[in-house]
Amino acid sequence: MKSLKRWLAKAGPAEKPEGSPCEKGATRRTLFHKIGVGSLLSGIAGLCYAMMRPLVPDVLYEQARRFKAGAPDSFPEGATFLEDQRVFVFRRDKTFHAISAVCTHLGCTVKMVNLNQPKTVQIGGKPVEVHYEFACPCHGSKYYGDGTNYAGPAPKPLEWYKLAVSPDDGALVVDLSEPVDKNFRLTV
Amino acid sequence: MEAKRGIFEKLFWTWTPKTEREAGDSVVRNLLLHWFPAKVTNASLSFGYSFWLGTISAVLFALLALTGMILMFLYVPSVERAYQSIKDIEFAVAFGWYLRGVHRISAHLMVAVVFLHMVRVFLTGAYRNGVAVHQNRPLNWIIGVALLLCTLLLSFTGYLLPWDQLAYWAIMVGTNIASAAPVVGERIRFVLLGGNTIDQNTLIRFYVLHCFFLPVAVLFLFVWHMWRIRKDHGLACVDRLARTQKRIAAIVPTKTYSLLGVAKGRTVHVEASLVDEESETVPSSPNLTQRLLVVTLVTVVAVSLLAIALPTPLEEAANPKVTPNPAKAPWYFLWLQELVTDTTIHLGGFTVNGAFVGGILIPGLIVAGLIVWPFLDRSPVSAAGVWFAAARRRQNTIFLLLVLAVLVLTIIGTFLRGPFWHFYWPWDAWPEAPKHF
Repeated sequence: MKSLKRWLAKAGPAEKPEGSPCEKGATRRTLFHKIGVGSLLSGIAGLCYAMMRPLVPDVLYEQARRFKAGAPDSFPEGATFLEDQRVFVFRRDKTFHAISAVCTHLGCTVKMVNLNQPKTVQIGGKPVEVHYEFACPCHGSKYYGDGTNYAGPAPKPLEWYKLAVSPDDGALVVDLSEPVDKNFRLTV
Repeated sequence: MEAKRGIFEKLFWTWTPKTEREAGDSVVRNLLLHWFPAKVTNASLSFGYSFWLGTISAVLFALLALTGMILMFLYVPSVERAYQSIKDIEFAVAFGWYLRGVHRISAHLMVAVVFLHMVRVFLTGAYRNGVAVHQNRPLNWIIGVALLLCTLLLSFTGYLLPWDQLAYWAIMVGTNIASAAPVVGERIRFVLLGGNTIDQNTLIRFYVLHCFFLPVAVLFLFVWHMWRIRKDHGLACVDRLARTQKRIAAIVPTKTYSLLGVAKGRTVHVEASLVDEESETVPSSPNLTQRLLVVTLVTVVAVSLLAIALPTPLEEAANPKVTPNPAKAPWYFLWLQELVTDTTIHLGGFTVNGAFVGGILIPGLIVAGLIVWPFLDRSPVSAAGVWFAAARRRQNTIFLLLVLAVLVLTIIGTFLRGPFWHFYWPWDAWPEAPKHF
């Protein structure tokens, strides 16, 4: 105890003998000062983190990104819009593909517009006959039937998603977390 | 001998002071008025100089706080009940329609008035420092810009709460603009929404921002704004007056009258007032207080009448399955909606999303420009505190052109856009657009 008191008594710069290394400012007091301020700042930072971190959710109760959309036979020829998941499923005889209805500009739901007259457009340098297209009500983006953006502010084509057949009941499984390219077709 | 004070004067202040001393006491002895100067120049009180736009904004904010606090008792921030509770407020609660109307009209007017206030301050060059020491008007201008941003955020978070179609798709577009920010964008969207989809987490976040954090921020910034006006020795027109007087008289009365003068160790001689007190100033009580009362009453009456005359719209309940066609933001954000529409850049195979250019880059540059402008402004100080000074003609013109651009984009968005955001003249009929797909 006595030695501690003696040690503490030496701490202040007022006590420092002339010509000692203490003159450079490296006293015990400055060390304690730094430790104190450092601890305070770390404490405040920790407190802030503990207060802000709960705002980033760890558990979400959202819809699954991979879901069963029903038996393939239940889909009519042409387009079916799955409005809860915002995705179009297209059937052409026994082949299926899925195109997102989420506009790539700012996330509004695009609407499918059937064309009165089919028109031939150049997609990727090839002439393609299109019967319908997609248009966004929020900012006027337009996409051809295969999702290729051609007018308005959309920066990229609509996503295509992977389709599969569920092994247990043969239902069509749409996976919104797995984009695929435009050649993807599921044949059932 | 002190005049006999009635109970009203004891609790508040006298509206009819008999002496200058009594007038001064009203300010010095009263908590509500303590932030006013004892005397105020006629120039500052002039309607034609400031249009009292700052005061009107403050009155509108007070109205919003008042009606908002009552609405908080009636509104339920849950996705299941929010829309119904707004319907109850509108159709079942006694005077609910009026409360909601006043809240909505005040919010719309506050956006307009705060914006006009900024335009007024720019056009009069009132962010320039004048002749008094320790002025920092550029800082107060920056606080004002922050207040404008808070006002816009309050409006944005506010119109989300009814959880109607307008609300839902505004959150969709607004948070997707945030996600267009490089690197951290997706993370910001996730935190704003409280997940990946717009749901209960999102509503409660915007509710807390709207009812607590943003109003507190406005209150804090407002207090700072007012305090700076006092520290800056009033409005810029006072400095202008002081300069004119100095040219004529070359002498401004000085006094050694308080510790304030030596607080910074500069001088013990402090100008008692920037201007000749006898000829140019009047006691704040009742000259300022009366005008404040008039402005407050006129604002409240105007808002009330508008709330009665104009219906408060409510769109269909939020439906994530259907985007309205066209999906339009409120008028004060339509220039931004138009901007994000028109600014996607395609350069060869390289594409920059308009969400980033029009939603983040251009608004960011505008705000940055507003913040730094007082430091770049090289116009003579004599041009400050007066409308359309010749020396400021060029920068005022550029500023007005920017204001005009915002107005033109707002008008295009409001009146000339139809289904699928196509361009229609007002006399063109809109075609039948598909409801679903």
